[in-house]
Amino acid sequence: MPEIIVKYEDKVIERMVADKKRISIGRTNDNDIALENRGVSRKHAQIEFNDNAAVIIDNESLNGTFVNNRKITEEILHDNDIITIGKYNLVYHTETSRQEAPGNLDGTMILKTKKQKEMVEQDKMEKEIIDRMGGSVLLGEENVDFSEYRIEHNVTTIGKAKFVHIHARGFLLSGIQAKIVKEPEQFYLVNLGRKGKTKLNGEEVSRQGLKNGDIIQVGKTVFRFLEGRQ
Amino acid sequence: MKIALISDVHGNLEALETVLRDIEKQGAEKIHFLGDAVGYGCNPNECVKLIANHCDIKLLGNHDYAAMGLEAVDNFNQLAQDSIQWTQEALTKKSISILADFEMDADFNDFHMVHGSPGEPDKWHYILTPQQAAREFEAFSQSTCFVGHSHLPSIFMMEAGGEVVQFVKSPFEREEKCRYIVNIGSVGQPRDGDPRSCYLIMDTDSNKMQFRRVEYDIKKVQEKMQKAKIPDFLIERLSVGL
Repeated sequence: MPEIIVKYEDKVIERMVADKKRISIGRTNDNDIALENRGVSRKHAQIEFNDNAAVIIDNESLNGTFVNNRKITEEILHDNDIITIGKYNLVYHTETSRQEAPGNLDGTMILKTKKQKEMVEQDKMEKEIIDRMGGSVLLGEENVDFSEYRIEHNVTTIGKAKFVHIHARGFLLSGIQAKIVKEPEQFYLVNLGRKGKTKLNGEEVSRQGLKNGDIIQVGKTVFRFLEGRQ
Repeated sequence: MKIALISDVHGNLEALETVLRDIEKQGAEKIHFLGDAVGYGCNPNECVKLIANHCDIKLLGNHDYAAMGLEAVDNFNQLAQDSIQWTQEALTKKSISILADFEMDADFNDFHMVHGSPGEPDKWHYILTPQQAAREFEAFSQSTCFVGHSHLPSIFMMEAGGEVVQFVKSPFEREEKCRYIVNIGSVGQPRDGDPRSCYLIMDTDSNKMQFRRVEYDIKKVQEKMQKAKIPDFLIERLSVGL
């Protein structure tokens, strides 16, 4: 039986076995797959199954339905196709995965799990922060002097010197250990000081573009990057 | 104790090496650096390394700051902008990581030091007139502040009555009742009409200080700059000290 794996920003929320002829997808709770997100329309799309194929149909939604990053109106689904709706990715499998037996076979599996709620809540909170601060923001996580920091300079310096924008703590840190540079397309994190003291999502970084939610670590200081409107 | 103060090396390795030898001959025990290790000249990495190895306190200058990509170069003149771009391409990660530990201002004994101006070190203001100096005296509490940046050796003296006068004198003895802002001149690109490298040597046990002028192999530097395709004006100005 076909299976749909629902992911929210690459985190798996739920698996669903499709044993109905038609599965509806939308923001409201009366959908078979309810996706809480501003980018999702009430009755966003549906998947229809017949003996030979599964077809996804977009219900003229505001923000569109994408299959493998291509905007569609109607599309036959193949194994491992990725359907993108708002911030959700739905992975289509022609057969139920072997490793995890579905918990609910009636096709109306409840998706509003605690985890999903938490993520949606966090997403809402972050949006509020970005709106309130009016741009991209760093959220203090550990050993930081601030809880929220609006990135307003073209270059934001991070280190242990007195004169940097963001003070970092830790052993053997340089005065200016790292910088965040605003470029036309996105922000970049660049290491300037001692090697290995600047990390992005746990990996040592030399220069790397920043994505929403990235964890920046300079010495013992940790903060999270929230991308606002540019 | 004798302390040497050097500034504005600007990637001029021959000048720096010559000055370091002269400092050794003079018997200075410590060297402090007031910023602009790089920019204009064609040996930024070598100069950064030498300064890091020989100097005790090391400050950032505006060219160092810009070469690290920490500020827009819109305020620089066209020649300086081109030279920053050249320097950015030449500067190694190792050199950047050394510069990353330089400071914006510092104190030693009863002295303050900064590349541009004590009031706003990261704004890189020039102190060229007694009027400008008068405002800056409010920004530090010590008797004397040493600066670089303009490449023009100069002494601004605030008399007991608050009046500020400007002069150049060497050797020079500080008076207890006065305060001073002293521009120590430039090692790598003098602009006061004397092409010889300029630095300052002082004795912390007395109030004596002296501007040292040292001849270096300008021709050799100019040949290297030509090979590196650095603009003619930057090459020619070294011969005349302007």
